[in-house]
Amino acid sequence: MAARTDAAFVPKPTVEVKEVSAWFGQKVALSELSCSFGKGVTGLLGPNGAGKTTLLRVVTGLIPPSRGSVAVMGGDPRIDPGVRSSLALVPEDEAVPGALTPRQLARYRADLFGVTDRGAPDAALETVGLTDVADRRLEGFSKGMRQRAKVAAALVTAPQVLVLDEPLNGADPVQRVNLITLFRKLGDDGKTVIVSSHVLHEVERLAERIVVVVNGRLAAAGDRRAIRDAMVDRPRRVLVRASSPRVLGAALVREEAVTGVALDGDDMTVSTAKAAELARLLPRVASAVGSRLREVRPLDESLESIFRDLVR
Amino acid sequence: MSTKKATPPPATSPPAAAAVAAVAVYAFRACLPAKRRLGLLFPALGAVLFGLLAHAVDLDTAEEKFAAVASAGIFSIVLPIGCLVIGDAVLGGDVRNGTLHFTWLSPIPRWTIVVGRWLAGTVTAAAVLGVASAVAAIVAGVPDEAPAMALSVAAGSAAYVAVFVALGAIVRRAVVWSLAFVVLIERLLGAALDGIAQLSPGWLARAAYGGLTDAPDLLRSGVPEGGAAISRLLVVTAVALVLAAWRLGSLSLSGRSE
Repeated sequence: MAARTDAAFVPKPTVEVKEVSAWFGQKVALSELSCSFGKGVTGLLGPNGAGKTTLLRVVTGLIPPSRGSVAVMGGDPRIDPGVRSSLALVPEDEAVPGALTPRQLARYRADLFGVTDRGAPDAALETVGLTDVADRRLEGFSKGMRQRAKVAAALVTAPQVLVLDEPLNGADPVQRVNLITLFRKLGDDGKTVIVSSHVLHEVERLAERIVVVVNGRLAAAGDRRAIRDAMVDRPRRVLVRASSPRVLGAALVREEAVTGVALDGDDMTVSTAKAAELARLLPRVASAVGSRLREVRPLDESLESIFRDLVR
Repeated sequence: MSTKKATPPPATSPPAAAAVAAVAVYAFRACLPAKRRLGLLFPALGAVLFGLLAHAVDLDTAEEKFAAVASAGIFSIVLPIGCLVIGDAVLGGDVRNGTLHFTWLSPIPRWTIVVGRWLAGTVTAAAVLGVASAVAAIVAGVPDEAPAMALSVAAGSAAYVAVFVALGAIVRRAVVWSLAFVVLIERLLGAALDGIAQLSPGWLARAAYGGLTDAPDLLRSGVPEGGAAISRLLVVTAVALVLAAWRLGSLSLSGRSE
């Protein structure tokens, strides 16, 4: 993708990641990754195990990069308390101090940040819809409710940079919509919001700009349409089972959208770089040559394979 | 990419005393919840049982009998194990559970995190174990020695909790290392080497009680006694806390340990 490197950077960054590598023993989680994030919502997309969580922990200073550097609002989050007072993280894992209530957790965070507004914790809890259960212990909460309690604990400090790691996990559809609306509003208000997810359509609803990480490396970056196009218009293979496969195959190779046809008995594998066009022309060509389609199935269509293609 | 160097925003943290108080209250509520506090009744009960056991010891005076069980039971088992449970919970447990970031990712100075955690642990340990040890002295028939026992156990608790907090900040498997500290370093090496006993919370707490109550069996050459032992315990506490605060700044919080 042409915009792979340039689109990874924004003109006025609040978060700058410079050639960051992170490894744990033999495992390399991030490899010379550079990108930046600015005001508004940016989606961080990648399959499970891509390095998204590590990147977000490096950005928030929880993990020191093995190489490279991170600057948030011009400072190092591991060293500069001013940066930490402007930064909040909602981690992916379900770990919460179970003996506390959401109100106590939000109050604690407010105390640590010197928030003087005594009503701030309750306002944050109301924002995420936890007012009714504000005095129940977190240990009895579902995954989605825990996520919302963590979001409230982050919002109470009014962060300029909000980092959310898979924040919609476990949320019911209504809460999902509410949280997406909330994050978008924070972005519209000029906050830097970084949201990670392994689900493309989820990120598309959240963010105009998307950064894709695969195998610890930057795979793509750009606006959501560019990322969607990159994922759709990629080489892919389609399994076709039909009567008279040799006749159908001969007809298909003449089409521009088809880059190759391989026959293995009655199974035909059609290669294309334009899947949508192939989907339109396949029934027409089959009908024209008198072949009856029995099965049409894409191969290698897992999300992981799509992400893999982006880094080829 | 921008080439202009941005200026980090100023920190908006609360006063240090308020930060310590907030962290201590959090540690007490979140790291030492009601269930764990109830669990601390076991070492407390153990201390009282050792007090009762003193009546069965074959020595001349009640003071000698209690000194014997205090040495073998309270200072060797109840105090380190009780403090290990508490000291690990207030920091090491939080690191392993993946919940330390709620505190760590904030503008307050690192040392306030360490001091707040230590304070919560020490107050809990001193209250539970100190009171239980004083009760042990009373049931052993030496009520006059209860204050000295409570003071020695409280000072020992402060040092032990500080050491276990430091281990929680330094190593991932803090419980294992804490047990190794008590069993291998204090019990085995400390018994053989005066240099280790001079810095060991267990040996110093024992010597503090021995010096305060004129119990020669609890004293050891080279190890300060009475008030001097308590002063030494405070030094050990301070060093451990400094170490923990330094280490906390370079901690890598990669999430929950499975």
